[in-house]
Amino acid sequence: MAYPYTHDKEIRVLSRGWGDPRTRTLEGWKALGGYEGLARAIEIGRDGVIDEVKASGLRGRGGAGFPTGLKWSFMPKEKTGPHYLCCNADESEPGTFKDRELLRWTPHQVIEGCLIGALAMQADHVYIYCRGEYFEANQVLARAVEEAYEAGLAGQDILGSGITIDVTVHQGAGAYICGEETALMNSLEGRRGLPRVKPPFPAAVGAFRRPTTINNVETLAAIPHIVKHGGSWYRQWGTEKSAGTKLFCVSGHVLRPGNYELPMGFPLEELIHDVCGGFREGRRLKAVIPGGSSVPLMSEADCAGCKLDYEDVAARGSQLGCASVIVMDDSTNVVKQVRRMVDFYAHESCGQCTPCREGTTWLARILLRIENGRGTEEDLDTLLDLGRQMTGTTICVLSDSAAAPVASSIEKFRDDYLALIRRGEAVGAG
Amino acid sequence: MSDRKTDPRETPFRNPGWAGNTGEFDLTEADVRGDDFFASRPLDGGHPSGSAAYPFMLAEKDPEATLFEGPWRERYEKILTRYPEKRGALLPVLALAQELRGHISAATMDEVAALMDLPSALVRGVATFYTMYNKRPVGRYLIQVCTNISCNLCGGDEVLAAFLEHLAVDLGQTTEDGLFTVMEVECLAACGFPTAVQVNSRYFENVTAGTVPALLGRLRTEAGQ
Repeated sequence: MAYPYTHDKEIRVLSRGWGDPRTRTLEGWKALGGYEGLARAIEIGRDGVIDEVKASGLRGRGGAGFPTGLKWSFMPKEKTGPHYLCCNADESEPGTFKDRELLRWTPHQVIEGCLIGALAMQADHVYIYCRGEYFEANQVLARAVEEAYEAGLAGQDILGSGITIDVTVHQGAGAYICGEETALMNSLEGRRGLPRVKPPFPAAVGAFRRPTTINNVETLAAIPHIVKHGGSWYRQWGTEKSAGTKLFCVSGHVLRPGNYELPMGFPLEELIHDVCGGFREGRRLKAVIPGGSSVPLMSEADCAGCKLDYEDVAARGSQLGCASVIVMDDSTNVVKQVRRMVDFYAHESCGQCTPCREGTTWLARILLRIENGRGTEEDLDTLLDLGRQMTGTTICVLSDSAAAPVASSIEKFRDDYLALIRRGEAVGAG
Repeated sequence: MSDRKTDPRETPFRNPGWAGNTGEFDLTEADVRGDDFFASRPLDGGHPSGSAAYPFMLAEKDPEATLFEGPWRERYEKILTRYPEKRGALLPVLALAQELRGHISAATMDEVAALMDLPSALVRGVATFYTMYNKRPVGRYLIQVCTNISCNLCGGDEVLAAFLEHLAVDLGQTTEDGLFTVMEVECLAACGFPTAVQVNSRYFENVTAGTVPALLGRLRTEAGQ
């Protein structure tokens, strides 16, 4: 029973149970070796767990790529009150669709990762902040958490260790910004999802004013495997600095879009042309967004020889982000698509910081004017200037994210903009 | 749609709501959604750990329903036990109120505030910040079409236009029979299977302008019309 769009080059560690309804149950997950990682974590203790995670080279899969073991070690060693762990399942970056599959096919994988993380950081309570739109994932997850409680894997005295960890599924209510860790904490506290100024960092003052760590679903899903098999086992895949496997979410103009679990450092061109089946007849590559809509666009020249790991993508002027590869062929109207992305940021800006609240709307209006053939060449300079003023001037990076595709598209596809400005003709249909 | 079968789930549809079906995928929708898992959570929320997860999207809403009584009260109290501060439960409680009443009016916001001993300005601020709380009544089927980049590259705009055309409504309007409201939505995280459409709690993927009538037909069948 294969999950659709599999490929021989995949290494299915996290996605192994996808497509099989049995893995949604505790029994099915245990049949795949589930909760052996948790048992080992109890055996080796919290320092042992953090050492294994550090040794694995695992980096946060939510976009920033911060080393997970290091992040965990920031939590206070001496407890003066409750600690919290939040699992960030508010996946809403356009182009990203991996966490939903992890949650609805392998909920116990995520829960086991949460429990191990909570054990390592002495967290009393795990909140899985699940995106509100994920009704199905929420249901599956809630059922799995209940199963874990019934089996003595969550709650009091986990596996006879004397440790108590509660797990709660918390639903979001539709706000992109709540994927930002400090906005997520505000939202969890029942407030509007406004990002907080750092410092203080969450490991010092987090949710409910207590030390808190926030990890992405995919990061936590990798933890049971790392703890069970050891950190060096995970390093057999990927590169020195970007270890392990990664779920690549490929969308856009390829014949076989979908989630593919591949080693870090996998060649981008091979991903597009081999794994995803390439383009429709007669079409060719125009642009790629390698890490979700917040990162700069890459032109065809940037893609040549590109390896999908944090370092190589950064060296080409973009970011791997959460490895959400949006592929555009030569039928794409880049100006329209950039405008659509900026519309999204204008809608999702929380409104706290002026450069973002005003800037995203201005960008969207100027881009719409250009798209409709009423732009001027000065508009391009205005866009770039606005983008510069929106970068690094706000509490969170939503503003920077809106500016990145605008600046990079003007740099790399200036002719598309000029065709609209000078002749009112769009390059590409949609 | 003359060959429609009795079970609406068998209505010919290229992708009845799960990621990645291209026709060769051998799971049925029941396998994927799993009746055990979907739409069967108890009204009282079951175990407190998952009580914040929706039980299911009730078809019948009662805008006059009391906040909260019977199993709903139990569920409300279970949710409160999961947060160190009462305010933490605000989002799930607003969701619970919407589940029951169908939308969150200003009066509902104030009721929730009184119920939870919170300032009503805070509750109004929160309720209006998040897009999933409907601030006014919507149709029995809330159709949300993704037109963000990945879907847009593959025709999201045309799918949205097809819904509006077939239902003869404007964006955000409800059809006269009260069945459908169509909205545009930001990324639903089903980018590999464009266009993604969410109907109440369900995802429909790989929707094209051509399959819109089939989808609407299926929903009408489910509504018994």
